[in-house]
Amino acid sequence: MGRLLDISQVTAGYGSITVLRNISIGVDAGECIGLFGPNGHGKTTLLQTISGLLRPAGGRISFEGTDITGARPRDIVNAGLIQSPQGNTLFGDMHVLETLELASISRRARRGRDENLRRVFDLFPQLGERRSQKAKTLSGGERQMLSIGCALMCSPRLLMLDEPTLGLSPRLKKELAGAVGNIARSGVPLVIVEQDVEFLLSLTQRLYMIEHGEVIREIDRANAPDHDSIMKLYFGEAVH
Amino acid sequence: MIDTLIATLVSGLVLGSLYAMMASGLSVIWTTLGVFNFAHGALMMIGAFVAWTVSEAAGLGLLVGIASGTLAAALLGVLIERLLVRPYYGNRNMLLITVMTTLAAMIILEKGAQMIWGARLKQLPRLVDGEISIFGATISAHEAILVVLAPLILLSIWRFTVRTNVGRSLRAVGQNQRSAALIGIDVPVAFAIAFGLSAALAGLTGALLGSIRFITPSMGAEPLVKAMIVVIFGGLGSLGATAGAAYIIGIIEALLILWLGLYWTPFVLFLMMIVVLVFRPTGIFGSSQ
Repeated sequence: MGRLLDISQVTAGYGSITVLRNISIGVDAGECIGLFGPNGHGKTTLLQTISGLLRPAGGRISFEGTDITGARPRDIVNAGLIQSPQGNTLFGDMHVLETLELASISRRARRGRDENLRRVFDLFPQLGERRSQKAKTLSGGERQMLSIGCALMCSPRLLMLDEPTLGLSPRLKKELAGAVGNIARSGVPLVIVEQDVEFLLSLTQRLYMIEHGEVIREIDRANAPDHDSIMKLYFGEAVH
Repeated sequence: MIDTLIATLVSGLVLGSLYAMMASGLSVIWTTLGVFNFAHGALMMIGAFVAWTVSEAAGLGLLVGIASGTLAAALLGVLIERLLVRPYYGNRNMLLITVMTTLAAMIILEKGAQMIWGARLKQLPRLVDGEISIFGATISAHEAILVVLAPLILLSIWRFTVRTNVGRSLRAVGQNQRSAALIGIDVPVAFAIAFGLSAALAGLTGALLGSIRFITPSMGAEPLVKAMIVVIFGGLGSLGATAGAAYIIGIIEALLILWLGLYWTPFVLFLMMIVVLVFRPTGIFGSSQ
């Protein structure tokens, strides 16, 4: 096999509530994949389980051939499996530069700190202008940039982005999509969670549709659906 | 008259230094974990007793004693976090539960100290003998060391939390635990560091105070209450606000003792605390959101 990230038969949830049911997803080296599906059906839960914030009740997660099921978040970050969480407010009272520097705290990220910082400021020049501003004074788009910037400071070997354009204006959305595309082209494999399937198709090779905590459909470029069938996937068949 | 006033202000400064060191420890734990450590005063007392045992009973000298007292308190702080606070992380009632568990720790430490060291009053020798005169007011050289040391220690803690990655990670964990974990900060380790640092401060304060006051199992109770008044007065969260409030409370206390006497001073201090809580719940220096 030798997949970069291999999630097999994972079950997870909160307390007695099961959110993910026997879910299996894989990412190969050099590949970008997308996850989409209705809200509240387990996409964020899946990312949190991969990152070690939630302990799976069953199944196995391995990264670069190493079993990371139930590992501590710190060790998962150390391995280079990084997540930029959804709707992130990060650390409100910390400055942009301080936050980015702190994000390279893990052992493997420390070496590449200066280079990563340059890369983040190249990708998001706005963050450079706001480097001594507190995170809580940033706009929604800038916070999202900072969140992705932090993830890049961790020297990711695989980067998971949870709805990077959530709640942003179309113009900002386009800007961030461009940045995400840049990251993908620089050779970082991505797992992107998004509602916008066309946006995902432009960036990724494969998509998984997740509903009720299960993969109900796998889509690749060859069998990519058109706009209407995506609408049908989301809203069901229109009955006249 | 002027002489009395100066003497009072100087003794307020000594009290303020003591409160600043105690309150900043409470503040470090609060900003990182969001809990209140009621065993903080007892950790200060342990610092004093261990310093006495090492310095006087074992005869290893005062400096070794102070270092041992600081270290012993720090280790106990880490132990309290591990045994009495960590099991309740993520619990919805964590704040209330840890009030009870740290109160339990306080009682255990106080009664334990009574069993180990007995009820007889103990005192440490002073770091340096002699007295120092400030504008005509005389304090012991030992108290003068406390006055100089307190702001230096506060400054280095502040620098630690702003400049170093370990210090920054404590602030990050306090502001957003989940995001902190996702950039690779070991959250449980950050909690342990916060408790250890806070307890080390308490232990050091106790070891220094052991030369000025008598060392008894309950010696930490009064400084703990004063440190609580300080953090409520200054607003929890910012080290600068806590330090400022500590000196203000110290000087107000000294003035109140001069004008109203020992009996009414705690009454007025608590009244002030209630007034602050009613009209400015975020503290005098706290940002009103």
